[in-house]
Amino acid sequence: MKRRRFLRRASHVAMATGLAGGYGALGLIAGRFLFPSDDRGRVWQYLVDVDRMAVGQSLSYRGPAGEAINVTRRGRGGGADDFVALSSTCPHLGCQVHWEPQNDRYFCPCHNGTFNAAGVATGGPPFDAGQDLPPYPLRVDSGLLFIEVPVDALAHLVSPVTSAPAAGTG
Amino acid sequence: MRVDGSAAWLARRILLSGNDLRELTNEPVPRHLKRWWFALGGTPAYLFVVQILTGLLLACYDQAAPATAYESVRQITEEIAYGWFIRGLHKWAATLMIAAVILHQMRVFFTGAYRAPRELNWVVGMGLLIATLLTGFTGYSLVFEQLSYWGATVGANIADTVPLVGGTLKRLLLGGAAYNEHTLSRFFVLHAAVLPLTIVVLVVVHVTLIRLQGVTELHFEREDPETPDTFNFFPDHLYTELIIGLMLMVVLSTLATISPVVMGPPADPLATPEIIKPEWFFYVAFRWLKLFGGTAAVLSMGLIVCTMVVWPAIDAWLRRHTRCEEASLWVGVVGVLAIIALTVWEAVVAH
Amino acid sequence: MTLDTKRYVIGGLGALFLVSLVLVQWMETARRAEEVGLRRASVTPPASSAQCVDCHAQANPGIVQQWEGSTHAERGVGCTECHSSGEEDADGFSHYGQRIATIVTPRDCSRCHLTEGEEFAASHHSLAGNILASLDNFLAETVEGSRVPFRPHSPTPGRVVESVNGMASAFSGCQQCHGSKVALGSADGGMVTMDDLQPDETGRPTNLDAVARIARTNDGRPLLHAGTWPNTGIGRLNLDGSRGSCSACHSRHDFSPRRARQPETCGKCHLGPDHPQKEIYEASKHGIAYRDLRDQMQLDADEWVLGRDYAAAPTCATCHMSGNLRNGGRTTHDPGERISWTNRPPVSLVMDTDVDHAIVNATDPDERRRLTADTAMAKRGRMQEVCSHCHTSSYVTGFYQQYDEFVILYNEKFAKPGLAIMTALAEAGLRTPTEFDDELEWTWFYLWHHEGRRARHGASMMAPDYTHWHGMFEVAERFYMALIPQARELAEQAPAPAGAAVRAVIDEILDRPEHRWFDQGAEADAERIRLEMQRRYGGAAPSP
Repeated sequence: MKRRRFLRRASHVAMATGLAGGYGALGLIAGRFLFPSDDRGRVWQYLVDVDRMAVGQSLSYRGPAGEAINVTRRGRGGGADDFVALSSTCPHLGCQVHWEPQNDRYFCPCHNGTFNAAGVATGGPPFDAGQDLPPYPLRVDSGLLFIEVPVDALAHLVSPVTSAPAAGTG
Repeated sequence: MRVDGSAAWLARRILLSGNDLRELTNEPVPRHLKRWWFALGGTPAYLFVVQILTGLLLACYDQAAPATAYESVRQITEEIAYGWFIRGLHKWAATLMIAAVILHQMRVFFTGAYRAPRELNWVVGMGLLIATLLTGFTGYSLVFEQLSYWGATVGANIADTVPLVGGTLKRLLLGGAAYNEHTLSRFFVLHAAVLPLTIVVLVVVHVTLIRLQGVTELHFEREDPETPDTFNFFPDHLYTELIIGLMLMVVLSTLATISPVVMGPPADPLATPEIIKPEWFFYVAFRWLKLFGGTAAVLSMGLIVCTMVVWPAIDAWLRRHTRCEEASLWVGVVGVLAIIALTVWEAVVAH
Repeated sequence: MTLDTKRYVIGGLGALFLVSLVLVQWMETARRAEEVGLRRASVTPPASSAQCVDCHAQANPGIVQQWEGSTHAERGVGCTECHSSGEEDADGFSHYGQRIATIVTPRDCSRCHLTEGEEFAASHHSLAGNILASLDNFLAETVEGSRVPFRPHSPTPGRVVESVNGMASAFSGCQQCHGSKVALGSADGGMVTMDDLQPDETGRPTNLDAVARIARTNDGRPLLHAGTWPNTGIGRLNLDGSRGSCSACHSRHDFSPRRARQPETCGKCHLGPDHPQKEIYEASKHGIAYRDLRDQMQLDADEWVLGRDYAAAPTCATCHMSGNLRNGGRTTHDPGERISWTNRPPVSLVMDTDVDHAIVNATDPDERRRLTADTAMAKRGRMQEVCSHCHTSSYVTGFYQQYDEFVILYNEKFAKPGLAIMTALAEAGLRTPTEFDDELEWTWFYLWHHEGRRARHGASMMAPDYTHWHGMFEVAERFYMALIPQARELAEQAPAPAGAAVRAVIDEILDRPEHRWFDQGAEADAERIRLEMQRRYGGAAPSP
C-alpha cells in the first residue's frame, strides 16, 4: 500500500514536472521572441576629427536612429576618455536637455532637472530618482572620434535610405 | 487552513462553491471516448489556442501594409530570435487544425452524430469549417509573397463571378476595384479579429449545444457490460486531452524544426508566377474551378456547400422516404473520394 | 489506462516536448552564429548627408548604391565627410547649404587615412605627374599632338570643327594614368592650377589674385577644366597642392579594398609595349595560379594578410604593397619599399634612396653610404619576406641571382654602350637636341623604353617569353641591326673630326669581347656548333 501511495505521488510530480518543463520552455522561447535583442543594430559611426574639437567645445549629434546626443570634449588628451557623449533626452520624462555654460550644467526645462558635465543628475526629479543622462560609448582611432549608436528605430523606417529609385519616379 | 480560507473567500464572491464547480465541469464522458480516435474533437480547439497565442506573438512584429508586410515577415523569419520557430508553429498548427476539423467532421458524418437532435450543431460545425478555411486563406495573404498576392487576387475574382452580389463582394473584400494599399489591412482585420472572434463564438455555441444535448454515445461489439457507460471528465478525460495536447506540441515543434517556413519571392503585381497554387486545403476548389470555370463552378460549389449545411434535413428526408437507410453513408464515401481525387489531381499536375 | 499511468505519460511527453524545444534552441544558436557573419550592417546616412542622399539617389542612383555597400557607409562616413571644403578652398562652392568640392584629394582622404596618405606621398606613384615636364609628355604634346590649337585643314562632314585641341592625346592618354594638373577655368579663358594658386601647407591658396581669376557660374560654382577633369591618374596635381588620387586604385564610391587587391586595378596602367607588367604577371606562374585559384583568395576579407588569410597565389598587391605574416601584416602604400632595381630608366639603377626617397646617384661608396637612407638590399629584404611565405631561402636567393645577372647583362652589353653612342653623337653635334626628329632617336627609344624594359620586367617577374623574345631578342636586333648602322651612317656623313670621334666610340664598343662576334664573325663558334649538331643528329647540319 505504501508503495502504491508513493507511486501515485511520484506520478503527480512527474506530470507537474513534464508540464512545467515543456510549456515553461515554450514560454521562455515566446518571451525571448518578444524581447528585442541588444546586439542587433548597433554600429560605430564616425563623429569628428579629434583635432577639430577644442576642450570644452561640444557638438550635437543625431544618431541614425534619431536619438539626440551631446558630445563634449572635456580633456586635453586625445583619448576617448577626454570626450563624453550623453543622450540629451532627459531620463525623467523625455524632454530635451540643453547645456547652460553659465551654470556649467545640463538643464531640463520640463521639471527643472539638472545634470553636471558628466551627465550625473544634480537636481530636480532626475536627482531624486537617481537617473543620470545615459552615456554612449566612444572610441578614438587614428585621431578620429567614433561613437556607438543604435541603428534600428522608427526614424530608419520612416525615411528608408535604400531609396532605390522606383521605376517611373525621377 | 489558509487555502480553505481563501477558497471560502472566493466562493463567497463568485457565488460558486468548489462542489458546484466540480458539478459543472464534471460532465460524464461517454465510454467510447476512452478510444483515442474519438477524443479528437478537442484537437482543433487545442490547436486554435496555439494559433491565438502564436498569432498574438507574430502580430507584435507583423506590419500589414504592402510596403512593409513582406519585410516584416522576413524579419520575423530571419532576424528576430526564435521568429522562424514561432512562425513555423503558427503555420503548421494551421495546417493541422484544418486537417483536424475535416477529420472531426468526417467522423461526425460517418457515425451519423449530426442526426436529431443535433442538426443545429452540424450547421454550427459547418460554420466553423468555413471560418477556419477563410482564416487560413487570409493568413497566407498576409505574408505578401507572390502566392499571397495572386491567391488574394484570384480569390477576389472568384467572388466577382457570383451573380448579382459578386462585384460588391469583391469590392468589399479588396477595399477597392483591385488589390490596393487598403487590401492587406482588411485581410489582417479578418484574419486576426473577425474570423477568430467568429470561431470563438461558434465554438462556445458548439460546446454549449454538446453540453445540453450530451455527447452521442456509441457502442461497440465485445464491450464488457460491467464497465460503466460513462466516466469522469475530471481528471480522467482532462489527462487524455493533456496527452493529446503534448503530443501535438511535440509534432508541431518537430515539424517547425525539420520543415521550417521559408520566404517565397515577394509579391510582384506585374508578374504572375508560372506555377501558382493555393495552400493544399484549397486544392479541391482550385481544381473544381479549372474543371468548370467561372460562374458555373462558383455556383456549383455554393450549391455543394449549401447541401452540406442542410444535410441533416436531407438525410432525415431520405431515411423517411426511401428504403435505403445507408444512403448518407454512400453519399459520404463518394464525396470523400471525390475530394481526395481532386486534391491529388491538383497536387500532381503543374497546371 | 489508469490515472497514474496517464500522469506518467503526461510527464514523459512533457519531457519529450522539452527535448524538442532544446533542439529548437540549438538551431536558433546556430542560426544566429551564421547571421553574425552574413548580416550586412544597416546603412543610414549621417544626418549631414541625408539630404545629399535624397537627391542623388534619384539623380545618380549608382553613386548612392555603391556608397551603401561601402565600409564608409557602415561607419557613418557620408558625403560631406569627404566632399566638404573649406571656405577658402579654390574649388569649393555652396551646394544646398553645404560648402563642398567635387574633387576629393589625398589631402582629404588623409584626414582619416593618415599613414596611408604619408606612405603614398613618399611613393613614386605620387610623382607620376612629373611626366608633365618629361620626355614622354613631349611625345604626347608635340610629337602626337600640338601644344597650340590649330585649325582643321579640311571639313568633317556632319560636324563643325573650328579648332583642333592638340593636347587631346595628353589629356585622354598620358594624364589618365599619370594624372593631370587639375585646373579651373579662368575668366580670360585660360586655366588656374596649383601653380597659380600656390597653396600653403594646409592646402589653402595663397595667391588671391589667381582665386579672383577663377571663372564661376551664376550661383558661384567654379568650373573645372574639362581637359584635366575627369581624371583619376595616380600622380594628379591637385588644386590644394596635394599629389595623387586615391581613387586611382580605390575606385569610388565603394572604395573596395577587394578591387585594389586584384591585378586588373594595376593593369589599367601597367600594361602595353613599354611596361607590360600585367601581361608578364599573367604569363608567370604567379598569375596562372591566381587565375586558377581566384576563389580561394579571400578577396573580401577585412584583413588580407599573406600566409594567414590566403596563400593561394600572389597578386601585384601581395608582393608590392600588402601585409604578410613576416612583416606583421603591415601594408604599405609605397610600392617602392620592396623594389631593389629600378628598371624604368635606360640603364637600370640600384634603388638606394635618400631621405627624400630619391635615388642616390653618387658613385663614391662613402658618399653613397652617407646619402642613402634606405638601401636597395633593405628593400630586397622586404620583398624576400614576401617570397619566403612560399619559397625557401635558397630558391629566393637563386632567383635573385638570375634576375641580377640578367639586369646587369642588359645594362653592360646594350644600355650603357647605347647610351655612350647616343652621348657621343650629341657631343659631336650629329643629332639635334630635339628628341624624336632623328630616326636614331626613335631607335634608341624603342631599345630602352620598350624592348629593354620588357626584357628586364620579364626577368623580374618570371615571364621567360617577355624576357627573351619580346625582350632581349628585340633589344639585340635593335642594337645591331638599327642603332649601330644608323650611328655609323651618321658618322660616315659627318665632317672628319666629329665623325671620327663617334666611329672611335662605336669601334671600341664592337671590339669588346661580348660584341666582337658581330664585326669579326664567330666562325669558330659556328663551326663548333655545326660539328656538335652533326654528332648528335647525324647527317648534314642545317646551314645557319
